[in-house]
Amino acid sequence: MFKKLLTTAMAAAFTVAGQANAAEDPVKIGFSISKTGIFAQGAASQMTVYELWRDQIKARGGLDVGGKKRPIKLVWYDDESNPSKVAPIYEKLITDDKVDLLLAPWGTPMHLSVAPVAEKYKFPIVGNTAASVALRQVSPGYIWFPTSMFPDSIASEMAKMLKQQGIKSAAVIANVLPFAQENQKFLIPALEKAGIAVKINEKYPPNISDMTPLLTKVKQANVDAVIVLSYPADSFLYMKQSKEIGISAGFQFLLVGPSIPVFRKAFGDFANGIVTMGHWSPLQKKWWPRAKEFTEAYSKKFNMPPDYLDSALAYMSLEILEQAVAKAGLDKEKLRQVIATDTFETINGPVKFTGVENKLLPTGFLQIQKGDLQIVWPEGMATSKFMKR
Amino acid sequence: MTAAPTTTAPGVTGTWRFPVATLAAGLFAIAVPQVVGSYYVSVALTLCMWIALTQSWTILSGMAGYISLGHVVFYGLGGYVSVVTWQLLPLWVAIPLAGLAAGLFAAIIGAPVLRVRGPYFVILTFGIAELVKYIVINVEATIAQAGRLMFGTPPVTILFYVMLGLAVGATLLAWSVRRSRLGAGLIAIREDEPAAETIGVPVVRYKTYAYILSAVIPGMVGAVMGLRLTYVEVLQLFNPIISFTIVTMAIIGGSDDARGPVLGAGFLLVLSELLWSSLPQLYMVALGTLLVCFVLFAPNGIVGLLARRGGGRR
Repeated sequence: MFKKLLTTAMAAAFTVAGQANAAEDPVKIGFSISKTGIFAQGAASQMTVYELWRDQIKARGGLDVGGKKRPIKLVWYDDESNPSKVAPIYEKLITDDKVDLLLAPWGTPMHLSVAPVAEKYKFPIVGNTAASVALRQVSPGYIWFPTSMFPDSIASEMAKMLKQQGIKSAAVIANVLPFAQENQKFLIPALEKAGIAVKINEKYPPNISDMTPLLTKVKQANVDAVIVLSYPADSFLYMKQSKEIGISAGFQFLLVGPSIPVFRKAFGDFANGIVTMGHWSPLQKKWWPRAKEFTEAYSKKFNMPPDYLDSALAYMSLEILEQAVAKAGLDKEKLRQVIATDTFETINGPVKFTGVENKLLPTGFLQIQKGDLQIVWPEGMATSKFMKR
Repeated sequence: MTAAPTTTAPGVTGTWRFPVATLAAGLFAIAVPQVVGSYYVSVALTLCMWIALTQSWTILSGMAGYISLGHVVFYGLGGYVSVVTWQLLPLWVAIPLAGLAAGLFAAIIGAPVLRVRGPYFVILTFGIAELVKYIVINVEATIAQAGRLMFGTPPVTILFYVMLGLAVGATLLAWSVRRSRLGAGLIAIREDEPAAETIGVPVVRYKTYAYILSAVIPGMVGAVMGLRLTYVEVLQLFNPIISFTIVTMAIIGGSDDARGPVLGAGFLLVLSELLWSSLPQLYMVALGTLLVCFVLFAPNGIVGLLARRGGGRR
């Protein structure tokens, strides 16, 4: 019985390997993704973008490699949402699968795990869905981060925005997981410096199933702004329980979650007015004319809009890589030089890296208005004015 | 102690063949980094990790029958010690310190925890691992260390050598405990605890010793794996999947013989390497199916199957 099972498993593995060998000399592009495990829900909006891009490249007749069009083949493995699996996977992709290019995994811990591998093998990787001040500690060289979502700048921009809205008091509650904690660490002093009284400053566990006591306290504090430094699951919980308790602050912020299309679908009109972090919206047609085209292609293929944060970042990283490969070909050192020094056109505007950071993109905030996500900050980039909830 | 040895029969290797073979295999494995690429060194590191963890687990859970579903707590504590002390203490101090911390923790919680048996013990060990996880998460959040970046950690080859040493050490430890007075006492406890106590087995002391012994090596394994991470999230260090995998490997390999964990870990790792890269979803399904099949049809694991095929117990 076990023999049989093992034989079947091995046969399946060999069939897949055999199919891979049959393809004609494509450019092999490798990555790891959290297909299973706790990050699977979030990583899905990145995987879909990789698939969309693969189809688009196919439709365009191949990837432009230094002037020559070549077919591409994605080689990927499931990292099971386990950051310690990411480095070995990328080592396997480089040394065993001998891929020509690498794409980024999903999320900050995964990016930070892969950075030393890129460095060791001198293999350039354009990152995407990572956001942490820790990224700046990565030595510049073979990995870059297009995001503008650094917790210190989120904190200072938020303080500016709240001050402009005439907000005098705030309640801050934060998940104890790293990204939320980084934000809390920078946000509290920034708010206090801006003269906003932080009446509640609390933390909650990552798998919180009842926020009622915390939210009751928030309601009693009667503040102008409620800032929830949340992950997707607790963003959903906040929405449900804040409705029951009747939190009515004019400014309500959730860190991660509202940009996922399902969020707006789940809460309908009640989601209107919720603010979240973000630096992209297809509604900003003047700044990013190609954003709409991407949104339409994505919606057509997957029957839902893209995630305004992760999908946009993932697509940006692909655009950067594609343009760099067109110029430099597949030579790693040339590719590295081009990525590090050129300016790239993306759906989120021009990208140019200074060290590991993309400083051309401002830190912004999105607000759900009439079921869509509008950029409400910074003012120059805004697609709509902030509206009190 | 007179009654105990009669129950030690399953698979106990009566000669020195087993430790000699273990040491030889260990020496042979030293050559691994010279002959394979770095990816396969990390696979070998993972194999050694699982062998060390599962062997340690069998000291309490296999021999005394106290099934721990929270062994990750020792791994996590060890990992946390090595992460916190990284660049403050040299490796040769940090790793034993991690083992010591895990052993000390086992000694402290052993007294209350080992008072319960059966499903209560299973639930309690699981609960303690979760409790410690959240305590560490909160400590990290309070000292504003939201995820630590680890720079300049040792290369995988070095970590592999340390882990190989731990795997060999854990295997020899499990083997020698099984042959010792302590092992005989533990097996007596597993078969009938009140009877063992009546005939003079120091039940509480033996269980506590076994708990401590089964915790020290996982602490050191965690310390080594902590250095494999470049970005540390506490959730990963205390991932309950680690506890579940240990139990699965022990069941599949057979926990009543020091060869069992080696076979269980090896078998599951080969299976996962075969399926993981091509059919990731199927891997978990296959794992679940295998576990059910082993529990139903081969409760003594691969070792039991081999013994049956070999015409009886050796």
